[in-house]
Amino acid sequence: MPVYTIKFLPDDRAATASDGENLLEIAMRSDVHINASCGGNGTCGKCRVKVMRGKTSAPMHPKVSSKDYDEGFRLACMTTVHGEAVVEIPLESQVDRSALRRKAGGSRVLSSFSSTDFIKGWAIDPAVSKRYIELQRPSVDDNVSDLRRLEREFQAKYGRADIAIDFSVLKTLNRTFRDAGWKVTVTVVESGRGVEIINVEPGNTEDRNYSIVFDIGTTTVCAQILDLASCSVVKIAEHRDNGLDLCTLAESSDYNSQIRYGEDVISRIMYAQKEGGLEELQKAVIRTMNGLISELLGMGNIRAEDVSHIVCAGNTTMTHLLLGICPKYIMLAPYTPVMTTGVSGAAASGAIGSSRVCGDNSADTSSSGIIIPPVRAKEIGVTLNENARLYVFPCVSSYVGGDIVAGVIGSGMFQKENVTLYMDIGTNGEVVLGNKDWLMCASCSAGPAFEGGGIKFGMRAGKGAIEQARIHPVTYEPMVLTIGRTKPAGICGSGLIDIVAGLIETGLIDQNGKFRRDRDTERVRHGEDGYEYVVCYAPESRIERDIVITEVDIDNLVRTKAAIYAGCKVLLDNAGLSYSELEKVIIAGGFGHYIDVERAQVIGLLPELPLERFIFVGNGSLLGARLFSFSKGFLNQAERVARNMTNIELSNSKSFVDEFVAAMFLPHTDQSLFPGVMERLRNGG
Amino acid sequence: MAFEIPKIRYTGKIQEVAVGTGKRAVRVGGASCYPFYRFEGEMPNPTRVAFEVWDHRPEDWQEWAVEPYKDVIHDPVAWAKKSIDAYGAEVIALQLKSADPNGMDRPADEVVRVVQDVVNAIDVPLIIWGTANDEKDADLLRKAAEVCEGKNVAIGPVSEKNYKQIGAMAIGYGQIVMASTPIDVNLAKQLNILLGNLGMPDEKVLMDPTTGGIGYGLEYSYSVIERDRMAALTQEDVKLQHPVICNLAHEVWKTRESRLKREDDEKLGDELKRSILMESITAMSLAIAGADIVIMRHPESAKLVKEMIGELMK
Repeated sequence: MPVYTIKFLPDDRAATASDGENLLEIAMRSDVHINASCGGNGTCGKCRVKVMRGKTSAPMHPKVSSKDYDEGFRLACMTTVHGEAVVEIPLESQVDRSALRRKAGGSRVLSSFSSTDFIKGWAIDPAVSKRYIELQRPSVDDNVSDLRRLEREFQAKYGRADIAIDFSVLKTLNRTFRDAGWKVTVTVVESGRGVEIINVEPGNTEDRNYSIVFDIGTTTVCAQILDLASCSVVKIAEHRDNGLDLCTLAESSDYNSQIRYGEDVISRIMYAQKEGGLEELQKAVIRTMNGLISELLGMGNIRAEDVSHIVCAGNTTMTHLLLGICPKYIMLAPYTPVMTTGVSGAAASGAIGSSRVCGDNSADTSSSGIIIPPVRAKEIGVTLNENARLYVFPCVSSYVGGDIVAGVIGSGMFQKENVTLYMDIGTNGEVVLGNKDWLMCASCSAGPAFEGGGIKFGMRAGKGAIEQARIHPVTYEPMVLTIGRTKPAGICGSGLIDIVAGLIETGLIDQNGKFRRDRDTERVRHGEDGYEYVVCYAPESRIERDIVITEVDIDNLVRTKAAIYAGCKVLLDNAGLSYSELEKVIIAGGFGHYIDVERAQVIGLLPELPLERFIFVGNGSLLGARLFSFSKGFLNQAERVARNMTNIELSNSKSFVDEFVAAMFLPHTDQSLFPGVMERLRNGG
Repeated sequence: MAFEIPKIRYTGKIQEVAVGTGKRAVRVGGASCYPFYRFEGEMPNPTRVAFEVWDHRPEDWQEWAVEPYKDVIHDPVAWAKKSIDAYGAEVIALQLKSADPNGMDRPADEVVRVVQDVVNAIDVPLIIWGTANDEKDADLLRKAAEVCEGKNVAIGPVSEKNYKQIGAMAIGYGQIVMASTPIDVNLAKQLNILLGNLGMPDEKVLMDPTTGGIGYGLEYSYSVIERDRMAALTQEDVKLQHPVICNLAHEVWKTRESRLKREDDEKLGDELKRSILMESITAMSLAIAGADIVIMRHPESAKLVKEMIGELMK
């Protein structure tokens, strides 16, 4: 695809862009301010620019008169580029050019990099697979039972002797064989107990084998549907561009219906102890899952009976509730879950970084411990076919769950020589530190601010959420982009980071997150919850209310980021390491499609390290869950990772409280940790 | 080889702050070693004892606390003068108790007149201590800063909630602020940063880390002051290099142990001696932790503390 240079005047800043890219997005990325408050929807008309030269395309628009249009005026959000171009940003943004002349922005924004490239040395080898078998017709000379017939062919073809069959399959075996003319496809599950046949269907359906993976969060449930069959011949080990992402057919997410019973895990655990509460909670999350399943099946035009397995990763409480297991003692000292073992039929063995991923299957004789075989999805109320099996990731402790284990698997940090920090910025804020030899984790009880919780106009990263924002240093006017480029409906985590960073960079708030009232802007005003900044006025919003960010919101955000930063710091201290010794920092979380690392550093969420050390993986749990369904070697691997991870209990840690208070400042009380940010703030303010 | 005492290497220095004007102005801070560790560094200024004076006759003082001031206790100006002339006070701390919204709630303008009278009547430095009610102090201390123009007084407590209003006036009228935070190193540092961002000069900031009396939380204050000092002197934490002030008198004198008489509990012994010891031990402990100014009530306890500081400074 051709790459063009787009020059912005009067800043004289150049940006590269690919063909057909949106002008406002290019400007946002290159740190060129253009006022925009409708999220890129073409309704506010504020992002007027003049195309001086170059090939662009934009429709006529009521906000641009035909005379202006002829002179080259366009709305940036409606304009796409198709060649080298020079664009002038008129008048209102020229007020103070010196303020704009900050360090030219490189690519500081990290897009979600959700690839399976992190992991080395594994092959497509799902734990639930389909095998096409042609059987000999019975005759007078060969009248062994139907089952023996199947056994004979299966053994001959796959060399396996440890075969079991699900009882229910027997009931229809004779009819299926005969109706299908002795050509059938069997679905088999492999576990520590050997191979189990869970379904026999007529004809060859090997190419119709799907799996659905779930990240079951306290707030949000995310799901993807994977086509295992079309990947089955791809050998990934040698190729970097393995094309695995092409297997992903569809994804979707929804709020966890359990929310109505309480926002956090503790209130859910309390509810589970009520009469019938546990069943209600289980039904609620299954309802959400079923909704997502039918949505995904619809998207991919896939039949329910072709989904052979489901993989779920959730925190420990969510895992218990999903399976209908009472989580009561998770919240009572000394915090003991019923089980942390994964529901996968796998056992833990060997060291975490064991290189034998590929082919390291369940027949591993050195494995020990109690295994939990995968459960029938139907048994817990999931509406799929009779035979689909449900797998659940193992957990580490009461407050570090399978979602984190999945993230560690997905990020590949358990294979690396160098030390990686993995930060999952979700409702709880879990962090993991380590490499192939050791892993340490902690749960920071950060709160749901980055998922929109406790934020007046917060929302999850869905359509209409403000995901990127800038504030002009002189006029204090905002420039916002929304997910789906619709009118803004709220603010998601990445937008929140951008806005609060913008407020502090422009001096609209102090380092303690309180608004300064001496600035010349109507956007800072006294609202019903104290002082606030108007990000988007009602006529430009989709909810017909002013979208604001309040001092209370900023307080919540500061608390959340402080807990995460402090948790990382304590973990590093426990390992005797400092931030600068980290080779990679992997950021996961559902707060948006992007994270602007520099702005996350301005608010002190991320440590001040060189940009290239950061990787943003988006939903890390789904990444791991995907690998889990692609290759059964990861079942044991996950079990191993979960059992070998050392959990640091922050609730008992005195230094955590100290670090937390120290981090409750923008960017941090110890300003020497953020020299670059402080330098910029001094120059900007 | 002769034995050498191991010494701490200091990299920082406490900011020196001058309070008051003229001949009797007082300098505090300036140390480049832990309190009284003069074998390791410089401690140019001794810990100062400030005598407290209330802006209105106190209602609930023990008679043995009233005794030294009984002739002047109804008149803040006379009280301040007596403290200076009879008891040798080098600094006066005027407590604006009557403005407290939870007490008499006297209007700010009325209370500020008392401030004006006192500041004009004395030549030693003045500390003006508000109500610790953020809103009331925002108004009261701003006005106090104004009427004391040119006197270089210390006003406080200034909190995270009202530092902007009070700080701006203090900068305008060249006064010192006392930045008050609830027993936490990081919070103390944050408020100092905020004051710095506001434009407050470093040599105009004292820190109030919150004080507890002996048996009533002194150990918390002690460790926080100690940590403030360690950060300031050995970790070059510039934002903690401010002198510390401890408003301890009203903490000590409200405790049960300073209120009970001998006849209430024979084991406790003489009430006057007991109260004086409680006050002086609290003050001395804080001085050893790092306090640069201690606000005290009884002339006898003040005398004891001054003597001991004198010994340590020899």
